[in-house]
Amino acid sequence: MARSAKAVPWFLFAAGGTVLAFILPVMIFVTGLAPAVGMFSGALSYDTMSGFVGNWLIKLILLGIIVLALWHAAHRLRVCAHDFGIRADTAVAWVLYSLAALGSLATIIALLRV
Amino acid sequence: MSIRTIKLEVLRYRPEQDKEPFFQTYTVPCEEEWVVLDALNHVKDEIDRTLSYRWSCHMFVCGSCGMVINGEEKLGCKAFLRDYSGTIRIEPLRNFPIERDLVIVQDDFIEKLTSVKPYLIPKEEKSIEQGTYKQTPTELKTYKQYSMCMNCLLCYSACPQYGLESEFIGPAALALAHRYNTDSRDVGRSAREDMAAAHEGVWACSFVGACSQVCPKDVDPAGAIQQLKFSSAVDYLTSYLPGGKR
Amino acid sequence: MSSQAQQASMAQDGATVRRPYVRPISKTSWFMTHSRYKHYMLHEISSLFVAIYAVILIVGLFRLGSGPAAWQGWLDAVTSPIGILFSLAAFVFSIIHATAWFKAVPQAMRLMRGGEVVPGNLIIGVHYVVWAVVSLFVLILAGVA
Repeated sequence: MARSAKAVPWFLFAAGGTVLAFILPVMIFVTGLAPAVGMFSGALSYDTMSGFVGNWLIKLILLGIIVLALWHAAHRLRVCAHDFGIRADTAVAWVLYSLAALGSLATIIALLRV
Repeated sequence: MSIRTIKLEVLRYRPEQDKEPFFQTYTVPCEEEWVVLDALNHVKDEIDRTLSYRWSCHMFVCGSCGMVINGEEKLGCKAFLRDYSGTIRIEPLRNFPIERDLVIVQDDFIEKLTSVKPYLIPKEEKSIEQGTYKQTPTELKTYKQYSMCMNCLLCYSACPQYGLESEFIGPAALALAHRYNTDSRDVGRSAREDMAAAHEGVWACSFVGACSQVCPKDVDPAGAIQQLKFSSAVDYLTSYLPGGKR
Repeated sequence: MSSQAQQASMAQDGATVRRPYVRPISKTSWFMTHSRYKHYMLHEISSLFVAIYAVILIVGLFRLGSGPAAWQGWLDAVTSPIGILFSLAAFVFSIIHATAWFKAVPQAMRLMRGGEVVPGNLIIGVHYVVWAVVSLFVLILAGVA
């Protein structure tokens, strides 16, 4: 039996899942729920945000979080597709991992522009 | 001792006369302390001698009487009637072909069990004269939990991935591989790797965790498989480094 | 059994006929058969919201690099009714993910300390503490900025 290459995306999935478990709820709160009620308007203002994201350490951290989130979701959605009865695993994997790769590239470009 | 009456709704299947399985209801007077297995034994002794099922120890150490009771994987000898009322639905373990009534065809599992090399592969064979292998209590604790499996197959019944893909080696077999991999007397991890690292090995598992939830011996096969995934993944990646073997 | 049935059930060598019956499983709705499978699908689906949120963040970063008007446009979209609905759903799913993940850690990672297995509840508890600390840190950071 050939050894499965699933090991590689699985590492990213596991790392992403761990990071997201800690950071995702508060991130969604700050960027999604809080501004809806006017909270953190200072932090979310253009000047503060571009200053914050302009910092190289912050860029690296955000890159890490978003890239891990993309690859975590891609791998999990691949398994989800199988669980929902979609059997073309190789095709699904190609599509999802390509999207994750594209997203990762987009993140790098976006961060460089700030 | 009070006697009450319960109804057992048992899935029957007799290949020589039934085209497909059907439910048959038995009314059974039960003692208070009885388990489902006692009720089945009463049926077989007093009501319907043709009812077929596996059982042996009646004390949840042999793993023979695995079945699905009211939709839950249970051992017949560990399901106390006092926890049920009215009609109890009894079916054979899921994800296995039915041989007859509650007896399932286990062959697939037996093959898989053999394929994980479930025996010690020591660094050097020791003759009797050389004495015993030594092991500290901590080394024993590292794998003891995974050695408690009695092959009752409740985990295979509960595992949806085994149901969807019968090539999956499955929880009990993989947990046993992990048991030997983590035994300090064993160096056979690489010998088991081809099996464990294949798609049908750990990678068909999506950590639903149902196996560990139903395990009557708290083996936690789900945990064993995740740990096996980690060591497999590390092995896979390091095999691509210079000096690694494939 | 009638003699006909008896004859049918005996193979040539006198053994009983074997005809194992395979019960069909639905590939698309197997998870509806038990609450534990529904629970599993719930935390698997959280990944969909993770993916969408990641895209929202990437778009936000692009807008941030395109000037104040573009950034405001992103903020307006995020605080629109659809945006709020998504954030609520994503927030709930992020909690579902975190709680399921923490619960799984002691199984996936068995630690031995001092000759004993480290209790699962201790490992889970530490995770919740770290979660609280990280969340508080980010909230304070956002609050004072």
